[in-house]
Amino acid sequence: MSSGAKTARAGVVAAVIPPAGTDLIEWYYAQGYSDGFPLVPPTPEKVAAVMAALGGDAQQLLCRVPPRWGSLTREVLAINMVMAGCLPGYAPVVEAAMLALTAQPFNLNGVQATTHMASPLLIVNGPVRNEIGMNSGCNVFGSGNRANATIGRAIRLMLLNVGGAWPGLLDKSTLGHPGKYTYCIAENEEQSPFAPYHVEHGYKAEDSAVFVLAAEPPHSVTNHFANDPPGILDSICSAMSTICNNNAVSGGHCAVVLGIEHAQTIAKHGWKRHDIRHYLWTHSGNLWKDLYCNERYGKIYNRTLPVWYKREPDARTPIVPSPDNIHVFVAGGEAGRFSAFIPGWGRMSSPVLRALGGAPPAGGANCVDGTCYL
Amino acid sequence: MQTQLVYDPRGIVEAQAMGLAPRIRKIDGLRLAILDNSKWNCNKMLRGVRDELQNKHKFAAVNYFTKDSFSSNATPEQIAEIVANHDIALTAIGD
Repeated sequence: MSSGAKTARAGVVAAVIPPAGTDLIEWYYAQGYSDGFPLVPPTPEKVAAVMAALGGDAQQLLCRVPPRWGSLTREVLAINMVMAGCLPGYAPVVEAAMLALTAQPFNLNGVQATTHMASPLLIVNGPVRNEIGMNSGCNVFGSGNRANATIGRAIRLMLLNVGGAWPGLLDKSTLGHPGKYTYCIAENEEQSPFAPYHVEHGYKAEDSAVFVLAAEPPHSVTNHFANDPPGILDSICSAMSTICNNNAVSGGHCAVVLGIEHAQTIAKHGWKRHDIRHYLWTHSGNLWKDLYCNERYGKIYNRTLPVWYKREPDARTPIVPSPDNIHVFVAGGEAGRFSAFIPGWGRMSSPVLRALGGAPPAGGANCVDGTCYL
Repeated sequence: MQTQLVYDPRGIVEAQAMGLAPRIRKIDGLRLAILDNSKWNCNKMLRGVRDELQNKHKFAAVNYFTKDSFSSNATPEQIAEIVANHDIALTAIGD
């Protein structure tokens, strides 16, 4: 704490009064609360506005964030949101994301501490995307949109400050990746030819939901020549079928983000998400012998992969154990024949889909065999 | 000058202090649990240590456990079994 600072009030969150004339941006840097970029100094008014958007009750505990297991109350969430530059209207998305990340199947404790580079990817569906001005279009993974940037940043600040995942201390990632600053997009439902992702999973179109996946960075898939689904999807299969992404050796889940042109070309042939997932799963993967260099370093079993995989040299090794473990989204600008493959961390973490406000899937859509119709 | 407040964004940690288990003075006759984190080289290291220990000491029992995933906690059932039926436990990370 800065010399001369005085405690202003008792409570769980220590608010103090720094010496007159203190440069607050530098003060927050000095405390070690920053992700590397300047923080927006919170004020009582800004913190109160976010808490009001969450329903008040500053000390209500939302979750505990591993590996430090700090208590995330509404007030602490609000402070981190303000520091990240969020507007109060983003609060329900950030709250839902933190509850999804701390759900047991996600294994945030492992995600935070692993030597792998995985970082939580957040994908938002539903009306809230437009209500708060999220970008689901051109340069969707890039810079330039306040909501995308600061929601992802607020999550990272909480993973650092509340979860204690400071690089080198509790976050042991060998390399990390740029998504550890912010990694948040929205699905482009307006230009997608398919039902929104959350509708496919039983939510109503008027619900809003967040999807979280422990993920590597996006890997671009270029295909400017194919005018049918197999041609486009074969390129994505190629991106999926490396021996060195973490899915290849650890299974689990991955995501595919179809660009608009690719998605529309595929849909024109009558293919649904269900068909896409199955094609990708069937035609991607590696030969077992390629994963382990033809046993140059001895015979390897790999206990992380499912027991039912054949451990034989010419056996096909799927990238993930099931077509349902390939999570297909549509996003990006309307021009450009690009998609992205996003490897996950592995079977050590399961993605989580959670509605804002915690509403359960309502089954409002007409869903048949994994495909839902509006 | 207007008063400026600054905030702590970390949230509190509610934890109960736990003391260390009593130190073991004699290994012979004890029941040893070995917990393998299931990483690539963990079993090689732990089995080597197990063999070395068994050459030097006469255990009442030596039982080997493997975590389901190296990145997740041991299951509550595994931990309960180790606590209930063993006197000492050995674990390691073999990356």
